Amino acid sequence: MARLLASALQLRRNPRILKLPPYLSFLCILVGVAWLFLLPLDQYSRRTYISENALLPGQVHTYFSGSDQNVFRAYKHEVAALAGKTNAQINDGLEPLLRGFGLKTARQNFTYHAAGRAYAGENLYAILQAPRGDATEAIVLVAAWENVRRELNRNGVPLALTLLRYFKRWSLWSKDIILLLTPDSIAGPQAWVDAYHDAHDPSRVAGLPLKSGLLQGALAIDYAQEGRFESLHVVYDGVNGQLPNLDLINSVVHIAQGQMGIGVALQEMWRHSNRYGDRLRTMLRGMVRQGLGLASGPHSAFIPYHVDAVTLRPFGQGWQDEMALGRVVEGAFRSLNNLLEHLHQSFFFYLLMQRERFVSIGTYLPSAMLVAANFTIMAIALWVKSGQPGDAGDDDKAPPPPADEDPLPTVERKLFRPLAAVALIHAVSVVPLYLFNHAPESALAPLFALFALLSAASRPSSPTSSPAPPPPAPSSPSRPSSSASSSPSPSSSSAPPSPPSPPSTSPSP
Amino acid sequence: MRQLFFSLLFCFFSSFAAAADYHEQLNLRPLPQSALLASFNFRSNISVSDFDKGNFRFFPRSLGQILQHASTRELHLRFTLGRWDAESWGARPWNGAREGGTGVELWAWLEAASHQEADHKWLMLTNALSGLFCASLNFIDSTRTTRPVMSFRPEGDHPSLANTQLLHGTLPHEVVCTENLTPFLKLLPCKGKAGIASLLDGHKLFDASWQSMAIDMRPLCRRRNDCVLQIEQTIDMVLDIDRSKRPRHNPIPRPPPADQLPCDTSKPYHARDTCFPLDHTKNQDWALSQIFGRPMKGTCPLTDPQVSPVCIQIPHSRPVYASEGAREKKNPDRISRCFFPPDPSADFDLSLPAPADPSDPEILGPGTPLLYAERSFTGYGQERGGIQTILRNPSPHKEVEFIYMETLPWFMRIYLHTMEARVAGQPAPDKSLVREVYYRPAVDRARGTQLEVRMRVPPASTVLLTYDFEKSILRYTEYPPDANRGFDVPAAVITILDASQGGKEPSPRRPAAYTLRTTSLLCSLPTPDFSMPYNVIIFTSTAIALAFGGIFNMLVRRMVAADEGPEPGLKVLVGKLKKRLGALTGRR
Repeated sequence: MARLLASALQLRRNPRILKLPPYLSFLCILVGVAWLFLLPLDQYSRRTYISENALLPGQVHTYFSGSDQNVFRAYKHEVAALAGKTNAQINDGLEPLLRGFGLKTARQNFTYHAAGRAYAGENLYAILQAPRGDATEAIVLVAAWENVRRELNRNGVPLALTLLRYFKRWSLWSKDIILLLTPDSIAGPQAWVDAYHDAHDPSRVAGLPLKSGLLQGALAIDYAQEGRFESLHVVYDGVNGQLPNLDLINSVVHIAQGQMGIGVALQEMWRHSNRYGDRLRTMLRGMVRQGLGLASGPHSAFIPYHVDAVTLRPFGQGWQDEMALGRVVEGAFRSLNNLLEHLHQSFFFYLLMQRERFVSIGTYLPSAMLVAANFTIMAIALWVKSGQPGDAGDDDKAPPPPADEDPLPTVERKLFRPLAAVALIHAVSVVPLYLFNHAPESALAPLFALFALLSAASRPSSPTSSPAPPPPAPSSPSRPSSSASSSPSPSSSSAPPSPPSPPSTSPSP
Repeated sequence: MRQLFFSLLFCFFSSFAAAADYHEQLNLRPLPQSALLASFNFRSNISVSDFDKGNFRFFPRSLGQILQHASTRELHLRFTLGRWDAESWGARPWNGAREGGTGVELWAWLEAASHQEADHKWLMLTNALSGLFCASLNFIDSTRTTRPVMSFRPEGDHPSLANTQLLHGTLPHEVVCTENLTPFLKLLPCKGKAGIASLLDGHKLFDASWQSMAIDMRPLCRRRNDCVLQIEQTIDMVLDIDRSKRPRHNPIPRPPPADQLPCDTSKPYHARDTCFPLDHTKNQDWALSQIFGRPMKGTCPLTDPQVSPVCIQIPHSRPVYASEGAREKKNPDRISRCFFPPDPSADFDLSLPAPADPSDPEILGPGTPLLYAERSFTGYGQERGGIQTILRNPSPHKEVEFIYMETLPWFMRIYLHTMEARVAGQPAPDKSLVREVYYRPAVDRARGTQLEVRMRVPPASTVLLTYDFEKSILRYTEYPPDANRGFDVPAAVITILDASQGGKEPSPRRPAAYTLRTTSLLCSLPTPDFSMPYNVIIFTSTAIALAFGGIFNMLVRRMVAADEGPEPGLKVLVGKLKKRLGALTGRR
């Protein structure tokens, strides 16, 4: 054992070993990235499956059709008559309809200030009380007046109204159904969900006068396009990269695809060949969206509160009509209604690459970990190097003096000044954080460019301009090419601390 | 033949009618939004001396023996499903005295000298009732049992309550269904065969928007030593008329054919394929046989002929049609009338035609309840939470005083110091709203929290009662199946004290004027991934086995040089055998 330890200590001084870390960390990056590109292959990804057996998607007959379509057309006229009016007038127009169904309705005012703009509005919501239930659980149907692209949800709102009228006739609901009509797709749902969980700021967002039980799931309808559609786009990204339970997405896909024969697209991949290229593109788009962490629809606000939610957005020119979408929603609600437990069986961390293929965290995490490992390797290597005399690293060709007899030559690491410098630079990053959070929306892009330039400019000059270059400074320029990208030197921390995303509550343009 | 049997039976029982009487009544009351409240009431009396002798008569023997065995003085049992929508239906039937929280609720006064004796009898009672009513009443263990101090008052006349104890238990997760209805009907003298009980069909009863089955047993005394035991069975249900009128063989609410959909033709866009549906939920027209799926099968021959079996509360201006020959008796209050079927054995039906003017349904307006209450969770996450109860007093100038009782499971640890009551719209809590608090803290795995608050709500105002609690972490064997569903929290019981009575008496002794219960709640606790313990067990077992095997091997193995050790293989065995043989022969 002692011999083993001794030989390990010997290795520290071996010049060949000391040369290894940059190559090792480069190999880690290489393998990590290559791993990522392997994921879309059939051998590495899995087919999706329904994990929660209680969901039983697509197992029920759906009856939303027939004369309900006449009702839908009438509501569409009603909604069209309200287009262009103010938020309060719209709610005044919609509330009597909901009350006519025998539902309880309430409203909620909210005002947000973000990026120099105020987002104010009034949410209208109605609760269909489960006929035999007990207000312990609820499912939410969201229809925003405007979708994320600021288009009037001209078919989605009447469809939601018609569906609620239809749902009222059934007695099988075990959970309350809440219809939420918001003026926009980001701020309104956020205000409502915050207030539902009492996590709101009472000075900006009003509390909810009417409540139901635990929210078990939510579905948003974004049907702004005129006329019939071809396929369904399922939007599932939540804020800050959170995702809904995979079972919910699978159920919707199963109902739409298997039962109704409607194609399903993900991540704006309108055409998907299910080959390597398209799978990779879908997966990378999902990763970018997760990385940016922006809200992508009315459903996004629900996910941080552990309420699984997706948005359904029809697209394309086809022969599916709004009743088909209504039956998809009906089927999904029947599935959610079956749930005895909160959705917990399936994955919360996954990358979807096609509507029926995904990789779970166990498969994609090693790739991310390998990329992350290279930082650690280089950091350890630099630390070891900093403990050796300055000339040892410089003089590669001459073998070190007979080290076997000498005790290991060490130098004292002077840590106070570099640590102080790092702490100072971290502290100074409060300035960009404050600026990014309070700058008006129009100034964000130039501000970001400015800070990017500043941080890029400060990087090469850091060894000279920073007040205290670390003691092993002579050694660090010797390998600038490999260590510049990965070394945790103080200069890299002066980059903007966060992407210029507004806080999660603020709507993105 | 059947008629003869009934008349014989009637003659036989009428001789006892003076001592032990029985009557039943169905009260119908149309409610707004095409709902109908149907209250079934069955009541029978038995003298205490007969009861003690085991001469049960109309009193159900199975229940009577249980009550005798557990020396129960007064018993109240409730099976409830759904929620009462006070906003649209108004005040509750019986002033809320005949309903319980969702699931099963049981409270009883037991004769017992000590707590242990009472607990023992309570256990006996719950287990026996559990078998009798096919409900999981045996799960009312010590963690779900409380001894209310202020909320419940005995309904009967007890000479003294010195030696009795009140115990109360709830099962919020129990789903009430047909298996509870059948034993309930079996307790009736006519079972479900004749009389108003023949209308009770499980399909219709459990399709109701709200229903409550109640059994109340109490002693009533006219004079000292002239006491009767009264058992009252009540079923209240709110039927959705549209839903109950659907035929049983086709219960699916398919969209009606387009030409049968009532449309608002005044809309400019009205066309053959576009139809703004008319609000058709205001009109009520129904017949008993339609909404209950069958007509009433005569009257129960044992019932008191003076009491009308069917009454309906509707203004006298609206016509009601009954089967031919039935006698209609309009009550002087101008809002109710009763019917006497002509023939005790013939089917009886009652029908209410649609009102002449569809815009005016001509039904009684819903009465305003004394208090509206709504309870919900605040906060999110799995560590802490809060409960907020919104109490609204609709009366413009009468204060409401009531007792708010909460029974919480032990794993919700409440922070009593956070409890505050404030009038809505005011920032600061008002200390004068809460008059008295009785709090019995929980003991882990042994008993739940009991909280009784006597408080008041000023006229025409809304009071928010809030408090925070902490969620504790359960042992992993303590989770029920479907652990991710969450845990049901029983309804809070609100007993409004009668302001007109009691005077200067200490307030809690006043009788209850109105009782209501909030809905139950679903509390989500931190739930482990139940496959994880198995993974951990398997992983650690493997690791330990590997390490132990290696270390044990190294510890017990003796290391010797190859030439020092014994010769390996067969030779060793042969040598040993020889030695053994040699020893044997040597001994000989």
